[in-house]
Amino acid sequence: MTIILGIETSCDETAAAVVIDGKTIASNVVASQIDLHAQYGGVFPELASRAHVESISPVIEQALRDAGIQLDQVDAIAVTRGPGLVGSLLVGINYAKGLALASDKPLLGVNHLEGHIYSLWLTQPFQEVVFPVVILIVSGGHTELILMRGHGQYQRLGGTLDDAAGEAFDKVGRLLELPFPGGPHIQQAAVNGNPTAYNFPRAKRDNSYDFSFSGLKTAVMREVTVQPSAAARKGHLTSEKRAQLRTDVSVNDVAASFQEALVEILVEKTARAAKEFGATEIFMAGGVSANQRLRQRMKKDSELPVRYPPLSLCTDNAAMIAAAAYFRYQHILKQDSPHSQLNMDVVTMWGLDKLSHHIADTSQP
Amino acid sequence: MPILKPDELDIISISAEQTRRMGIRLGKLLSPGDVVCLSGDMGAGKTVFAAGIGQGWGTTHQVTSPTFNLVHAHRRQADHVIFYHLDCYRLERPSDADSIGLDDILDGDGVVVFEWPERIQPVLPKHRLWITFRVLDETRRNLIFQGNSPRYVDLITQFRESTYGV
Repeated sequence: MTIILGIETSCDETAAAVVIDGKTIASNVVASQIDLHAQYGGVFPELASRAHVESISPVIEQALRDAGIQLDQVDAIAVTRGPGLVGSLLVGINYAKGLALASDKPLLGVNHLEGHIYSLWLTQPFQEVVFPVVILIVSGGHTELILMRGHGQYQRLGGTLDDAAGEAFDKVGRLLELPFPGGPHIQQAAVNGNPTAYNFPRAKRDNSYDFSFSGLKTAVMREVTVQPSAAARKGHLTSEKRAQLRTDVSVNDVAASFQEALVEILVEKTARAAKEFGATEIFMAGGVSANQRLRQRMKKDSELPVRYPPLSLCTDNAAMIAAAAYFRYQHILKQDSPHSQLNMDVVTMWGLDKLSHHIADTSQP
Repeated sequence: MPILKPDELDIISISAEQTRRMGIRLGKLLSPGDVVCLSGDMGAGKTVFAAGIGQGWGTTHQVTSPTFNLVHAHRRQADHVIFYHLDCYRLERPSDADSIGLDDILDGDGVVVFEWPERIQPVLPKHRLWITFRVLDETRRNLIFQGNSPRYVDLITQFRESTYGV
């Protein structure tokens, strides 16, 4: 039995979890900073780092307490190395290094995106995975389409060329004067809206698996805002120079139509990739995979089994980091005991395609 | 007043693709230490242009929107110089710029591109290339380049030459 303590601080959640054999969650603690960042309309790096510093110690203690174990019963400590905000990542990495040194436990650095993938291995009841699978990782900061042929074997098929899917939700939420984060609020508004009220542009029907949401965002803006007058534009007040929400639009209809367009873009490319590469299943992970409409449409349009994590594992958490660490050293590196990475650095921009399955040392990918 | 002012260039892009190509042209001309400010409303083409700058300048990663993270740092393979891409939209006041480490960024020898620079106007470097993006219609955008030091006037001249040959 292998017990791993996972730590995740790549963005705005301070999280710690204890996971057994990469599949069983013994504890999963997340201190959310959403309220803190709502006033800024998004994650604010310096605030995030400070909040991580305050919460990391109690969050880890609680994770151990909830699991009913002491630190010395842990086999390894896993921590997110990147991608993410540098200040936030550093808090987790430095704390984990201290913990590993003090307890003489091996330390493992984990790629956050690989963590999201392994959140699928934590869903209960677990059904064995038959590779290859196509994985859509969608969140506030990421939109990635990955072909997974085996543990640790990732081929990046595409990603966003501009805004991440969650960011598009946030920006349109802002246009519609909905609170942060945009995703859940737009989904809520869309329930009572007509998804065909507006025909917003879908993805270009090209052969690539890259996504673009910038044009969709611009189309929504054109539809729902009034441009400032030339006089106002020349004025000094920034607020008057910006486009304002029209008073005669139905926020619910715009939310529903926008959500439908965005979901269709995600579903079309993912389903096409699954078909082209003979995937047995489609996996979704990340905060936006919690979107109900996305889940429905993906199942319906792809005609393949679709897996996604429970809500608590869609958003950032540390259980997925512990699970990814377990699979990395057990199945990918085939080590009896993990090699500690005490001198590792933060890697703020780190794609899955840059994840070697041979090297687990401290070199920069 | 002459139509061609050396410190100003007023051009129209007919598509996002053209805006991107203009960015590529500018990116090829930038040197370490250069500061470029992209000002305009949401959807006016700032990020498309910045992605072009990154491409022309030689980043290995796809340049995507920095709105979520506020700062993206792309290192160029050839000489390891960093291309900083900042989005100041969510900065409420100039003092917030401290929190994203603006001083360190500006003290370095990287290329720095700002979106929503007007948010932190008082703490921006005095000399910079300022590009204003205006939405003309669905696809067309008006780009106005303004330089306020010899370096940026020179940059505009080079950009004009590479675009129009004059």
